[in-house]
Amino acid sequence: MAKQNTAVKNKSISYARWGYIFIIPFFIVYAIFTLYPQILTVYNSFFEYYRDGLTVVGPRFVGLQNYKTLFEPGAAGYVPIFKYLGNTVWLWLLGAVPQFLIAMMLALFFTSTRLNIKGQQFFKSVIYMPNLIMASCFAMLFFSLFSQVGPVNQFLVSSGAISTPINFLGMQVTVQTLIALMNFLMWFGNTTILLMAGIQGIDESMFESARLDGSTSTQVFFNITMPLLMPIFIYVFITSMIGGIQMFDVPQVLTNGKGIPNNTSTTLIMYLNQFLGISKNYGMAGAVSVLLFIVTAILSIFVFRTIRADNK
Amino acid sequence: MKKLLTVLLAVLMVMALAGCNSNKPEPAPAPTEETTAAEGSVLNIWTWNTEFWEFLGEYYADEIVDEYTLKKGDVTIKRTTYPSDGGAYQDALDAALLNQANAAADEKVDLFLAEADYIIKYTNSDATMDVKSIGVTDFSNTYKYTVEAASDANGVVKGVSFQCCPSAIIYRRSIAKDVLGTDDPAEVQAAIDSWEKFDAVAAQAKEKGYYMINTTNATFRIYSNNTTSPWVKDGKLNIDAAIEAWMDQSANYAENGYTAYTSNLWGDEATSEMFATGKTMCFVGPAWYFNFCMGNAQDAEKGCFGDWAICQGPQAHFWGGTWMLAATGTDNPTMVADIMNTFINNEEVCSKLVSEKMQFSNNQKVNNKFAADASYGNAFLGGQNDTAVFAELAKNIKFQNVTAYDQLCNEGLQTYFQQYLDGEVDRDTAINNFKDYIRTTYPSVTVE
Amino acid sequence: MKSNANKTAEIKLLISRIVVYAILIFLSFLCLFFFYLMLINSTRSNAQLQSGFTLIPQNNLFKNLYNAWHDGDINIPVGMKNSFIVAMCSALLTTYFSAMTAYGTYVYNFKGKRFVHLFILAIMMIPSQVSAVGFIQLAFKYNLTNKLWLLIIPSIAAPATYFYMRQYLQATLPIDMVEAARIDGSSEFKIFNQIVLPIMKPAIAVQMIFSFVASWNNYFMPALLLNKPDKKTVPIMIATLRSADYSKFDMGKVYMLMVMAILPVMIIYIILSKSIIKGVTSGSVKG
Repeated sequence: MAKQNTAVKNKSISYARWGYIFIIPFFIVYAIFTLYPQILTVYNSFFEYYRDGLTVVGPRFVGLQNYKTLFEPGAAGYVPIFKYLGNTVWLWLLGAVPQFLIAMMLALFFTSTRLNIKGQQFFKSVIYMPNLIMASCFAMLFFSLFSQVGPVNQFLVSSGAISTPINFLGMQVTVQTLIALMNFLMWFGNTTILLMAGIQGIDESMFESARLDGSTSTQVFFNITMPLLMPIFIYVFITSMIGGIQMFDVPQVLTNGKGIPNNTSTTLIMYLNQFLGISKNYGMAGAVSVLLFIVTAILSIFVFRTIRADNK
Repeated sequence: MKKLLTVLLAVLMVMALAGCNSNKPEPAPAPTEETTAAEGSVLNIWTWNTEFWEFLGEYYADEIVDEYTLKKGDVTIKRTTYPSDGGAYQDALDAALLNQANAAADEKVDLFLAEADYIIKYTNSDATMDVKSIGVTDFSNTYKYTVEAASDANGVVKGVSFQCCPSAIIYRRSIAKDVLGTDDPAEVQAAIDSWEKFDAVAAQAKEKGYYMINTTNATFRIYSNNTTSPWVKDGKLNIDAAIEAWMDQSANYAENGYTAYTSNLWGDEATSEMFATGKTMCFVGPAWYFNFCMGNAQDAEKGCFGDWAICQGPQAHFWGGTWMLAATGTDNPTMVADIMNTFINNEEVCSKLVSEKMQFSNNQKVNNKFAADASYGNAFLGGQNDTAVFAELAKNIKFQNVTAYDQLCNEGLQTYFQQYLDGEVDRDTAINNFKDYIRTTYPSVTVE
Repeated sequence: MKSNANKTAEIKLLISRIVVYAILIFLSFLCLFFFYLMLINSTRSNAQLQSGFTLIPQNNLFKNLYNAWHDGDINIPVGMKNSFIVAMCSALLTTYFSAMTAYGTYVYNFKGKRFVHLFILAIMMIPSQVSAVGFIQLAFKYNLTNKLWLLIIPSIAAPATYFYMRQYLQATLPIDMVEAARIDGSSEFKIFNQIVLPIMKPAIAVQMIFSFVASWNNYFMPALLLNKPDKKTVPIMIATLRSADYSKFDMGKVYMLMVMAILPVMIIYIILSKSIIKGVTSGSVKG
């Protein structure tokens, strides 16, 4: 290893410029299509800039006015962005808690030599499958299946479980449960596979010595598996959280963008999307984006730390 | 090194562009020689549904090429459609009209359709043209309100409607018989000619195990059409007393079980009530409703064709209407004018709209001919002469208190109020949520 | 005594196995059930759908297929073509250029290399939505809405794919091999294209699949950029189904459209599920 490294160092001097050539397409594209729009987004957040029918209003510099408006309570008495941030976190948690619990459980099942589960490939294929489904399509499917005249209600009524159809798509409890269920189904397989890999990465001798010491499987889990799995667990957890902050397709399509009922399923990105609707309100949308950036930046620092700790 | 990079990027660009260009629809046929007065070879029509497009294919075009393309002489007619819901159509149309000057001739919007809910936004802008200047001059047979609706603040006419849309109560004959003991339109009308009577019949229907209306949204247009003030007044959001009255009625109907659903008018829940198995007595709609929305009622297996009739109901109102507006910058003015004239002044086409498509045309002469024809009857309505009913109702239509913001105000109020009807929020919260929606959607409207 | 203890242990193991399999079967059922319902419903007519619930396919499959394919509001054939172009081009560009960038920071020692690597890791987590406002503003300004390439080109800069490729290179590519090729007189690009890329084939294949799927399913940005009917991608069309004014509701057709939207990805998955699942783990975290 040491020999290789010195070899690279010796040769690399004359080849260094090739390094730049190889990375330059990435950076050109990044600068034009991501960085510049990002800067423009921030810039916009200080301007009044929207469309009123066929008239374009602005751009006019307004300082921090958009941010002020963003943090003002609406007619309903709350500050929309806070409520939607809260919704987003809550909806994510509703899906993520069972997702991680069940994924952890399945990962232990699959890696247990004692249980020696057969057909692992099949089960893994099936539980990972929903992850590849188009989220907007998944939501549309649930909308159709759970409508008052949809198959789920038809089944419940004809089997005598209920007498009148349940308004699944009109009630807070059911809408939030459906969103959480979809997120759970889409992600628990993925998480299972990642945690499994983590457990398999733990040195087998650690388990063996513990067993020889007479530890119970619960003790093994809490004293060995969990501590050693922690970095990976945190990494998967925080990436899931960052994904959760961006939740959009499922609630957007399921509630037709209205976050019904009572805006309890309106997420941060849905709010952003509302500003980008008919009035193309770049100013306010810019302010929402900046807030989104700050929230994810804070979370990213945690991820960054775990990656670095892990890379050592 | 630089060279290599340039080559690389160039290859990349070409690759990507090639990939995408192959996606373009077949290029429009090159203009063969000099077409009529060197006008464009492609006429672009913007719509939010396919209703008018189907009539255009059947009664105007020479050839239906596919779902999106028609041919008339040398000209290819192309359709661009967006869903109306949530303002998607308006949004896309606004963007296209703002870009009209820069668009290639064959990409320009030539003719676009607009609804009463937002037509004023376009008539009061430079994006639409005076149709008299392109040769649409004869409005002697059209209904007056359809011309007023398409005129700007100075009275310049910017478009025409191919339909006139007085709206009525569409009731199930068999259910009316059971509830009121009669299915005769005059007698049913006498029983429901005011809101008090309408509500009383609703209670009667409930007792017999029926619903008065399929969804609370069904009566929304009747109220919203009889407002005394607009949605936006002096730049401020304003909820009219008639809208409040609709909310009261809806609350009452939802609470007492007079309505089958509280959900969206167009959803499969509300329309499922149109099957023979449905328990709803009254639906609300104009002539276009029969064909466009009552597919379930016409279903061969599960429908109830012929078990229907219409009467005015509690208040006169209109609903919808599809106006054709001429877009400034069109390169097909002659054909645009020709299409407009065909659908308002060609008596043969207007007659077919009535007799073959159950429409109520925008040609009084044609409508009156059918209305006076004792042998004419609409089989879907059990032989009732609906044109005669609509001709009477058309006299009472008022086009008033309109703003450019009506579509999303109407849609939004119904969506947010439904949450109150479903018992999820209290009434004030529902209205406040609606206000916040308008605040987010229209920065130019002040919400208090 | 001893055999008794053994027996209890055996019974215990048997019971826990039964419980575990029951849990696995239940979760598998949950994953498949809704899609099974969708498939069944896509074989039923609107009237059949309104009349009750069933788990048995009915006879309306081809009629629904025809209606979905020829729908006047939703041009699904064009949508699938557009989605395919975007997904395929993105998958090719993203894997090629990510591999190239990863190779650049792995093999070469240049000034700022550490910074570059850390920078790409740092931007990995920034949601694409943060650039959305500026992006669509520019798209409208330069009249680039409804251009599919605008959705394709940005995929060249894909931090997550870079990260994966970089990990893979670290694990599989000995620097000696590059040195040897240099001694043979190969140019740097030749080495990358003819020696390194073949080594990276497994990683490229996996990332191509993930990139294809992500792009096929992408809804947020395309919905803001594409609004011409002949440029729309599948997710946008599926979302319009939810629009309230999608009247003349034929639920059989609606289910069929949903089947069509996810079918291509499902076919890929059925064929390649093993390597896809392997791919989930190998790059995302260092085990």
